[in-house]
Amino acid sequence: MVEVWQTYMACSFILTAVGLYTIISMRNMIRTIIGIEIITIAVNLNFLALGSRNGFVDSLAQSIVFISTVIGAAVAAIALSLIINVYRHYGTLDLKKLRRLRW
Amino acid sequence: MDMPLVLQPIAILLIAAALTPLISILGEKIKFNKLKDLFAILAFTSAFYALILLYFRIEDYGVQSFILDNYLPIKGGVEIYADSLSLFLSFIFCGIGLLASIYSVKYMEIDTGLDRYYTLLLILVAGMIGVAFSGDFFNLYVFWEMMCIASYTLVSFRKYRWEPVEAGFKYLVMSTLGSLIALYGISLLYGLTGTVNFKGMREALISTAGSQIPLYIILSAIIVGFGVTASIVPFHTWLPDAHPAAPSSISAMLSGVVIKTGVYAIARSLFTLFNPVNFDYGLALMIFGVLTITVANFMALMQRDIKRLLAYSSIVNIGYIISGIGIGSYILFKYYSIYPSTSLSAAVFAIMGALFHLFNHAVGKGMLFLCSGCFTHEAATRDILSLEGIGRKMPWTGGAFSIGLLTLAGVPPLSGFWSKLFIILAAFSFPQNSFMKAIGVIIVLNSIFAAAYYLWLLQRIMIKTPKIKASEASIFMVAPIIVLAIICVIIGLMPNLIINLAEKAAKAMLGGW
Repeated sequence: MVEVWQTYMACSFILTAVGLYTIISMRNMIRTIIGIEIITIAVNLNFLALGSRNGFVDSLAQSIVFISTVIGAAVAAIALSLIINVYRHYGTLDLKKLRRLRW
Repeated sequence: MDMPLVLQPIAILLIAAALTPLISILGEKIKFNKLKDLFAILAFTSAFYALILLYFRIEDYGVQSFILDNYLPIKGGVEIYADSLSLFLSFIFCGIGLLASIYSVKYMEIDTGLDRYYTLLLILVAGMIGVAFSGDFFNLYVFWEMMCIASYTLVSFRKYRWEPVEAGFKYLVMSTLGSLIALYGISLLYGLTGTVNFKGMREALISTAGSQIPLYIILSAIIVGFGVTASIVPFHTWLPDAHPAAPSSISAMLSGVVIKTGVYAIARSLFTLFNPVNFDYGLALMIFGVLTITVANFMALMQRDIKRLLAYSSIVNIGYIISGIGIGSYILFKYYSIYPSTSLSAAVFAIMGALFHLFNHAVGKGMLFLCSGCFTHEAATRDILSLEGIGRKMPWTGGAFSIGLLTLAGVPPLSGFWSKLFIILAAFSFPQNSFMKAIGVIIVLNSIFAAAYYLWLLQRIMIKTPKIKASEASIFMVAPIIVLAIICVIIGLMPNLIINLAEKAAKAMLGGW
């Protein structure tokens, strides 16, 4: 029988794949950041799934996820501020049109 | 309440970072704009002094750690932990941070928003020391992200230019993905062991029976995740863009120390959690190491931008360090069961060589980036052909630049020679193993190849007839460079000063098993 935490781990894996696909396939910088945020959520969900014991989630896993969410928000804020500056310089958010980016 | 000594270096830097904007306002009120610069220098000096005190405490009483007892989870809590290895790296982080802040007094004069710059610089070093002092993955991840967020912002500090913004974004995306891959590995480890504390995890992993495949997946996630920041090939592509785009003081920090934090995180996690005698990650590290050296050497040869060339050279040197660590763990995996004492001493020798090289590269490359900052500050170009002969116009900077290049080229008796020699000798320590011999030969050939372009750069900067007008930079910029040059020469002539520390650090890295 599939347990609840295993279902959550599977969801986390699917979210990671979605996030990676978003980053790889899209040319828009904001979508890249959304992809990163989806992967952050996937990793957090994985932590919660693996921290669940008898229907409860371990407080350590909750603390880590809480901190990780805050860090994810900080990273997104910096990324968006960089995107604003990129837009000022290039007038576009298309990754392919930037001068030196080679992925 | 007295603060435990092990917390003091981090606390000093973080409190100073919080106070810097206020000090900046005070400086404007009293018409002394350099107050924030002096405050940052003072903060770094105090943190360095706290590290010296901690060194003597560790010498007298052994490993120092701090746990909040009231919140101790069952299987080991979050812990600040300092041993010889943590301290060895922290001295490098804080020392280069101090010199970069002295250099910034004059170098960053043309910029605005320096209160934010110093705040971020202090947070960057606090994050790095925090990573070195982490006794668990929770602390390590928090301090790691603190360091990363500060470095993204510092790389794109000059946001009015296109290059820093673009390079900063590339760095952010790659590094964040790396951190997330590492965190994924950590979450799997947490699922297996029920704790994030290094010691707790190690004990749980020893008692866990069953397949090693999940552990190898976790091990790969850790190498790849932290390997992005360490800029191991093929995860290195952010580095040659980010280092030239950042201000030179930050390039010196990034190249000198930030990428070393990636190497530290890989080495500390692997050696603490996975017994090198049972897990064959040495092979992967050796292959990554020589691949990194070879690819980066070829790429360096094609550069005309001085900072880009130095950035590729940093990747080469990370390759040496990773190879040294890989050789150490490979020897233990292969030969510990046959020759326990010989293999252990050979592994300590290899890892000691890698840590010694880590020190040499931090000092040498930090100095070279600071020198290139002086050149570009005076000549307003990064093109090597335009900078021809500038070393003759700027004798102090040029002299230090020559010493830095010769150190990294491994010319005896400078310090880089010894560390490369140790790594190469370790690769030949078991002559019956042809794979290790092949790795050794590749490292030797790459060293010769790298020496050739270092000497080419030296000839361009120091021997060619000067084309452009330039004069020696300010004393605030030259003094840190001279200090680093003196360190290179002294350590070259008396390598024992660092070898003893590096040996203790190598033993601490291998300790516990």
